[in-house]
Amino acid sequence: MKEIRLTTKILKTLVKDRIQYPDRLFVDTIGIIARCGILLILYWYVFKLNNGVINGTTFLFAAWSIFFYFSFSVLRLRDISREIMKDVQTGNVEVLFSKPISYLSYRMWWQVGSGIYSFVVITLLTVVALIFIIGLPPTMTIGIFIPTLILTFLCGAILSLFLYTIVGLLSFWIEDINPVFWIVDKTIMILGGSYLPIAFFPEFMFKIALWSPFGASQFVTHTVYETWQTNWYQLLGIQLFWIVLLGLVVYFMFEKAKQKVSVNGG
Amino acid sequence: MNTYSITVSNLTKKFSFSARNASSGWLKNLFSPETKEIVAVNDISFSIKHGERIAFIGPNGAGKSTTIKMLTGILFPTSGKVNILGFDPTKDRKKLAYQIGTVFGQRSQLLPNLPLTDSLEFFGVMYDMPEKEIKRRIAELVELFNLGSFITQPVRKLSLGQRMRAEVAASLIHKPKIIFLDEPTIGLDVVAKKSLRDLLLKINKDENTTIFLTSHDVGDIESLCDRTIVINHGTIIKDLPTQDLAKTFVYEKYINLVALNNFNNFPELPEGIRYSSKDKNKITVVVDINKINLQESLKKLLDLFEVEDIDVYNADLETVIRHIYERD
Repeated sequence: MKEIRLTTKILKTLVKDRIQYPDRLFVDTIGIIARCGILLILYWYVFKLNNGVINGTTFLFAAWSIFFYFSFSVLRLRDISREIMKDVQTGNVEVLFSKPISYLSYRMWWQVGSGIYSFVVITLLTVVALIFIIGLPPTMTIGIFIPTLILTFLCGAILSLFLYTIVGLLSFWIEDINPVFWIVDKTIMILGGSYLPIAFFPEFMFKIALWSPFGASQFVTHTVYETWQTNWYQLLGIQLFWIVLLGLVVYFMFEKAKQKVSVNGG
Repeated sequence: MNTYSITVSNLTKKFSFSARNASSGWLKNLFSPETKEIVAVNDISFSIKHGERIAFIGPNGAGKSTTIKMLTGILFPTSGKVNILGFDPTKDRKKLAYQIGTVFGQRSQLLPNLPLTDSLEFFGVMYDMPEKEIKRRIAELVELFNLGSFITQPVRKLSLGQRMRAEVAASLIHKPKIIFLDEPTIGLDVVAKKSLRDLLLKINKDENTTIFLTSHDVGDIESLCDRTIVINHGTIIKDLPTQDLAKTFVYEKYINLVALNNFNNFPELPEGIRYSSKDKNKITVVVDINKINLQESLKKLLDLFEVEDIDVYNADLETVIRHIYERD
């Protein structure tokens, strides 16, 4: 009960914080329009050059898949790595360790709270805009789409938090996690389908995207394709497997990390 | 009932780190680096009663902050036992956190972009206080700490003095039994320092809150703490009432000699007397009364110098503390 109350308070406080500074929402919106919008225009042109179909997929499916990646990225869950590193480097970790909270769950909810306002506003606006501009693929109108989308989205969020938390926790051992962060982040971006829609992946790369935790954290981009209707339970199973495994890794790493705390002046 | 808030027995903390060996190759340094060890806190023991006001002092790197962090459960001791209000901080960190408050002078726990009320409410929820109790306690703290004039301002717009008052207020939201303060007055002006000290004294008096403070500011120690523990090189070198600390070097008397004209030369002084400072207008000497009594030293000094005024006094607390650090 206490955890739920604190979580709600974190989310409310951070939404209030973001509402108070609408310029951040504006910057986030411009950011997604620039990144996602330009990519969609380019793909629209590439599809047009190929008579509207590439590798059996039309622009409509690819566009929604790319959009789901960018929408998910607005949550900025990846930033948890840098927040943990900042806590360790500045010694702020001691302030949080002296409170009656679990440091990691506090950091995770804080990260969710930091991005949720931009995520909700930008996603709603962009979904409406995309429906009007390019329409909905038939796969998004069937009954299981919304419930499985929510499930895979939640599993993807947990998995992303775990992956980036593991990177962040490395800062208890190494001074600068940025090189590791860069590798993990780019792997997730590529396997998640941010540069190239997953429908275009060669078979070996598709398998990596399917079976690695990096790709599994972005299964939300798979939901628009027809294969999702038959594979969703398998993909959710893969996500759950990685959640359990990485959850254990996070737990044991943090138990070790607590004993490595060595903040300024102590 | 246990009369002690804090009991520390044979507490030791060692930090080990990899050190690069210049004579070894990079591969050896990468996979098999040399490990060096620093003993930050070395086998210290002390007890603190409920409601005591403790200054835990020492020069930089003496082990003060390391000790405070072990007492609050942030750092794990290498060996030894700590008991805070019946809890072992390494095993019961969260349970203990409900009973203690912490203020780290160089770090902020407040939410920078939001008004102070939001931070106070946030911590109230964090400490699982009922909504009504949070509101009542905030009103109490606003009045006690005089926060009313800036409570609606975003924290990042507060002055340092206002922010520190707010930090302490936030640490007291849950009425902790002990408050640990790590250099709380650092960077504050004299007015803000006094205001903060007065507030801490009031909290100690009204709520019997045990105060455990580290500071380099002698004013904090003198005006706030009834007992001082001095630590250096990780070891406790003094543990005594603060008023007795000033008497530690009572055998040393300081004499200011103000020149009638100017002092042109500075002759060698008799045994037991040494210069503390030399200036054309004023000389300060230190007399060791174990070697020469005050009357005789005054006579000898007056034979040596033509003076307009004389002032005899004991070493101030800052000098005493400096002596203790230097002597160790």
